[in-house]
Amino acid sequence: MARPNNPDFDLYQSGVLVRLTGVDAGYGAATVLVGIDFEARAGEVSLITGPAAAGKTTMTHLMRLALPPRSGRAVILGLDVGRSGGKARANVKKRIGYVAENPVFVEQWTAFDNIAMPLRMAGHKPRDYAEDVRELVDFVGLGGAADLAMEKLSGAERRRAAIARALAGKPELILADDPTAGMSPGDGRRVVRLLAEMRRVGTCIIVASQDETLADCAPMLRWRIDRGRLTPVDHAAPQEAEAFE
Amino acid sequence: MRNALTGVERALFWTLAFAAFAAAAAGLSARAVDRVAADYEAARSSYAIVRVVAPEGPAGLAAAEMALAQTPLVRSAAPMTAGRAAALLSEWGGADVSAENMPPLRLVEVELAPSAAQRDVSGDIVAALAQGGVTAELIQAPDDAGGGGLATRVRMAAFWGALVFSLMMAVIVSLAARSLAARRREMVTVMCDLGATRGQTAGRVADEAAVLGLYAGLAGGALAAVAGVIVLWLAIPGLNLNALPQMILPVDLVPIVAAPLGAAIAAGAGARAAAGYFHAQAARLG
Repeated sequence: MARPNNPDFDLYQSGVLVRLTGVDAGYGAATVLVGIDFEARAGEVSLITGPAAAGKTTMTHLMRLALPPRSGRAVILGLDVGRSGGKARANVKKRIGYVAENPVFVEQWTAFDNIAMPLRMAGHKPRDYAEDVRELVDFVGLGGAADLAMEKLSGAERRRAAIARALAGKPELILADDPTAGMSPGDGRRVVRLLAEMRRVGTCIIVASQDETLADCAPMLRWRIDRGRLTPVDHAAPQEAEAFE
Repeated sequence: MRNALTGVERALFWTLAFAAFAAAAAGLSARAVDRVAADYEAARSSYAIVRVVAPEGPAGLAAAEMALAQTPLVRSAAPMTAGRAAALLSEWGGADVSAENMPPLRLVEVELAPSAAQRDVSGDIVAALAQGGVTAELIQAPDDAGGGGLATRVRMAAFWGALVFSLMMAVIVSLAARSLAARRREMVTVMCDLGATRGQTAGRVADEAAVLGLYAGLAGGALAAVAGVIVLWLAIPGLNLNALPQMILPVDLVPIVAAPLGAAIAAGAGARAAAGYFHAQAARLG
């Protein structure tokens, strides 16, 4: 946690969990993101859409502290990413739930063990978290597959497991990179609704996807990214949640 | 979760166990060389033969034996019998020598006290005999200049050879343990994504490798111990189970005890380095 009397921490206290200001980022010689300005607050759902290779995944990496900004300022959960050390970044990462485009699991472990990993890492005992994890498993609709080894799960089940794992640590910020990839439209929308439900407990959710129709799943602030440039789309106040129920 | 020792882990376990066995066996061999060399050195430096010049005959031998018995340098002295001389000549010359063919001997075998090795034994013994009225000469005596340091050099070579070999085995264990970190790369990536620091991630993989190394080292050390006992059994005629524990010194057990500890440390260090590298790769893209 950032120190009090720190402008970045004050920003976080005011509910701004992500603020990117004029951020450039990329890999090696390639610059993928150009002059990104973005903000996301607690209890908001943001949807970033754009074509393939537009920079959605790179932006997710930036916000999950895996990619440092080359220029500009990135403040995530009160931490200035460009000026922080590995330990501070690790501490902030614990407060971020990340659903990767291709989630990585410990394949030999069961889905249950993988989902419980953030809790184990936090030092909780299995008897303390078993019930919570079972609830999460039911919440994402994984059911009996939770007791199977990850390598035996289908693509959709793996994605549900990834969502459950991202939620297990009760994160303040959830980043979902193409969470509906490989799913039927119905399943995909259910998954996004699941994620968006977390806004009710004050979690900030950021979904990156090529599917612009996901905006219909829940009240969302929409952004469009193309060739590394991000622009807000129709940022009037999001519709009331009830309209999407 | 599945059984931890499957596939790669099982192969790794036996690789580590073999390396631990080899290191422990090298250590035990060095201890054996050390003890043989030490025994040889002790025997060589505590033995002498006195040739009595005057008086001649049994009287001279008796006088020499009496004079030597009163010398603090000498633990025991006894005239060399024809049978003993024949046996020695057979041993040195390689051909059978009959005791009946031996001429009258004027030799006294002397076993020196341990402290005598540091002194001018030859001069002191001749002087002691002269005081007893015996003229004599030492025809075999401790001589540090004439190959006296060889045993020490052999012992040092065995020690350093075993140490270097064990270090090489430790390097092999360390490199092999990196395969465990590679096997746990998914877990490293997941832990990194979930906010584990490099130390936490590497520590977890290192702990697992260290435990594997410890058990593999115990297996390797135990096998080396069994092999050592078998070699002793074959090398020493008449050895029995009752005599065995008395023969083995505490220091002889050092290689067996060091094998699991060394394997655990080397495996832990190797896995920690590799897991730390994988964590760094996962933590920072671009």
